[in-house]
Amino acid sequence: MKMKKNFNGFDFLQNNLVPLMFIIICAICIPLSGFSTSYLLNEVVTRMGRNIFLILSLLIPIMAGMGLNFGMTLGAMAGQVALIFVTDWQIWGIPGVVLAMILSVPLSALLGLMCGKLMNMAKGREMILGYMMNYFVTGLYQLLVLYFMGSIIPIKHASIRLPRGFGIRTTVNLTNMRQCLDNEFAILYKGVKIPVLNFIIIALLCLFIVWFRRTKLGQDMRAVGQDMEVAQAAGINVDRTRIISIIISTVFAGFGQIIYLQNIGNFPTYTAHSQIGMFCIAALLVGGASVERASIGNVFLGVILFHTMFIVAPRAGVAITGDAMIGEYFRVFVSYGVITLALIMYEIKKRRARSHGGELLARAQREGGVQS
Amino acid sequence: MSKSEQLRQTRFGQLVDAFGLPRLIITGFLIFLFIMAPITGSDLPTQITNVINRFSWNAVLVLAMVPMIHSGCGLNFGVPLGVLAGLLGGTLAIEMGFTGPMSFVMAIVVSTPFAILFGGGYGALLNKIKGGEMMVATYVGFSSVSFMCIMWLLIPYKNPSIVMAYTGVGLRNMFALDSFYAGVLSKFLEIDLNPLGINLVIPVGSLLFFALLAFLMWAFLHTKTGTAMTAVGSNPTFAKASGINVDKIRLLSVVLSTWLGAVGILVYQQGFGFVQLYTAPLNMAMPAVAAILIGGASVNKASVANVIIGTFLFQGLVTMTPTVITALIHTDVSEVIRIIVSNGMVIYALTRKTEGAK
Amino acid sequence: MRGKTLLIRLAALAVCVAVAATMMVIGRGHTLYFDNKTIENYQGNEYKAFERVVVTIDGEEVAKLGKRERGMATWIGQSFKMTLEITEKKGDEPRIEEISMDLPYSVDGIVINLPAYLAGLPEDAWFSEFVPMVEEEPGEDEPLPGEGDEFGLEGDLGMEGDLGA
Repeated sequence: MKMKKNFNGFDFLQNNLVPLMFIIICAICIPLSGFSTSYLLNEVVTRMGRNIFLILSLLIPIMAGMGLNFGMTLGAMAGQVALIFVTDWQIWGIPGVVLAMILSVPLSALLGLMCGKLMNMAKGREMILGYMMNYFVTGLYQLLVLYFMGSIIPIKHASIRLPRGFGIRTTVNLTNMRQCLDNEFAILYKGVKIPVLNFIIIALLCLFIVWFRRTKLGQDMRAVGQDMEVAQAAGINVDRTRIISIIISTVFAGFGQIIYLQNIGNFPTYTAHSQIGMFCIAALLVGGASVERASIGNVFLGVILFHTMFIVAPRAGVAITGDAMIGEYFRVFVSYGVITLALIMYEIKKRRARSHGGELLARAQREGGVQS
Repeated sequence: MSKSEQLRQTRFGQLVDAFGLPRLIITGFLIFLFIMAPITGSDLPTQITNVINRFSWNAVLVLAMVPMIHSGCGLNFGVPLGVLAGLLGGTLAIEMGFTGPMSFVMAIVVSTPFAILFGGGYGALLNKIKGGEMMVATYVGFSSVSFMCIMWLLIPYKNPSIVMAYTGVGLRNMFALDSFYAGVLSKFLEIDLNPLGINLVIPVGSLLFFALLAFLMWAFLHTKTGTAMTAVGSNPTFAKASGINVDKIRLLSVVLSTWLGAVGILVYQQGFGFVQLYTAPLNMAMPAVAAILIGGASVNKASVANVIIGTFLFQGLVTMTPTVITALIHTDVSEVIRIIVSNGMVIYALTRKTEGAK
Repeated sequence: MRGKTLLIRLAALAVCVAVAATMMVIGRGHTLYFDNKTIENYQGNEYKAFERVVVTIDGEEVAKLGKRERGMATWIGQSFKMTLEITEKKGDEPRIEEISMDLPYSVDGIVINLPAYLAGLPEDAWFSEFVPMVEEEPGEDEPLPGEGDEFGLEGDLGMEGDLGA
């Protein structure tokens, strides 16, 4: 079952077009923005520390052939719910982060299960389904946080409740948790703060992913990702494997969101999750990943390039056009554009592979050989 | 009155045909709202006026879903593209100095080439990625809207009533249409019962305009090209075998959808009275998609009846819940209900098994 | 085999619950307020405020209190330790006292009256709870979902197009 590499030039271009484009954009924008190297480096390192975990959560569903998990937002919402509770119970610092992570697991696993089941009902349309799940679960999240918390679910502290007595305020302050992971063992080197603990956690997750790929379940997932029917014939429970991959992704996304928000130090209760999926997916794709193949290297490269662009674009926009809004819109356009491009390339490739497979099959039938 | 009777009959027929549970719940909920409205003290004629008004604003945008669903391109999450064409048409017509009803006609005229251009490109793209249309459509919508955000700032518009007040460069986020095409359709042949003491206003002009487009759509679907389109949507392999140029038909459907999207946003604006630019077009896709699905359409099957029922149900829900539910439980949960219902509807449709959608 | 899997799962669950419970205990945060105030009449006695108290927690000086002053510090966990450097009267040599106490789990803000505490009085004399006022900023309830119209990326929820009606 080896995939033939017929379009080497095309493949090379496809795998590297987006990163190359970004390198060029960054190379033009960095001098124009006028930021100092240490500022830029510090920003990028901070953002790496807080974002990579979230982006890594996208890898496993890609392995299982379910595409970009737009439903990772569900995990982010679970993480936020856990953070609201931890804030109300006044559990501070690293214990607070650990508790929030544990609390988020049942919720994100449940949401992941729901998402996975629905995706199994919509095979071939996983991405759009996951995307729609965001909005659907956002509704449930609002119902829970805006109406149930404080009325049905006890919330002790008036400081996080809305003045009307129920519902959570529009901003949740994580003052007592702020950067507790970032500051633990942090190293300051020439004005660049390196959040060592964050990177240790990220390294552990990377090791987990590498290890997981070699387990029986990981192998099954790859088989399912290659061809569901063949995997089914080989005795793999396809549906179950796919659900597990989504659950793992959702749970990790929940952890990732907690790490992300402890760095920021507060979060807008009702909108903190809404863009996270889009940014993470864009960053992953910028790193050269595609819908069906992504590696840990793509994640790191993607974060660096995407966030450099994100930091410098508004200032560079001002320098070029004299209007700050243009830079803002430009970076949004680029994020969306990258995802669009990746999706188009993926679909074209899939279609080409399908017709190519069809040709092979037809030829095989003509020749009367029984090949698989 | 006979019209609503007719509407009811089709709705029941539809319910018997496709007895989708979510649809039934929504219909039941809407009936409940209509019953509760007088009890909670809100004025029923006012409510009905609101529902009809919002129906007249949105119906054409929902109609824009039909051609693409028919040709098997799935739910048109790319409707913002059509909306952009409409916005270009509208703003350019105003820029050229047209006012009053003439500006509406010119807006449609000017937006048509844009719609054909955008729709053509979009359709050609969708032909390359059969099977993955919906996700790509969503992101084509996103990226084109964010691209146009830059363009609204860069295109050298001059008309002082639409450019930003201080700098004079770039279009405003939102501007009123009072001296342009606000109400050109809805004020035409308007029935206003307020003098009789009933707060009922029916925008007959808008409804007639929609009826015209809906009839044309219905008629089109019964022409040779129209039936070919249905064939392409329901069974592309069969359609190909019977000599239909699948790609060409799909392209036509996308152009048609895009053009209807452009006209749809202009109709919406004339009812609403304002033009919203920048990120606003993104907000037009979901309500339209949800509405047609609530009306009984599926990912690859839709009719004009679905459009009428769906828009009525969805807009009814959107208009009635804030007043009625707030009066009932003293909490405004309408936004949450709307999010859950409309997105739940799309998820329901996506998880249904569809024949020959691939 | 199945029994073993179940056992492992239960054990994992137990570990999670145990860790969570531990975190709830060791991570409970408290805000401490130190009062250097004279207690005028506690069972007939008066306990005078110190001339000067320096509060040090974890090697970090958190407050330097004159008479009638209040200092603040945060502490995670229940077994609280601090070092006080007390100058009782003007001109005295400062003495150093190590103090450790158990904080009540359920109280967020704890006010400790230092003169009373150091005099060894019972808890009700030196302990009180601090309840912060909740600041009601006007317009706080403004941007709830569906009401806010933030510019930029926020608008793409797709359902927010309802400015009219």
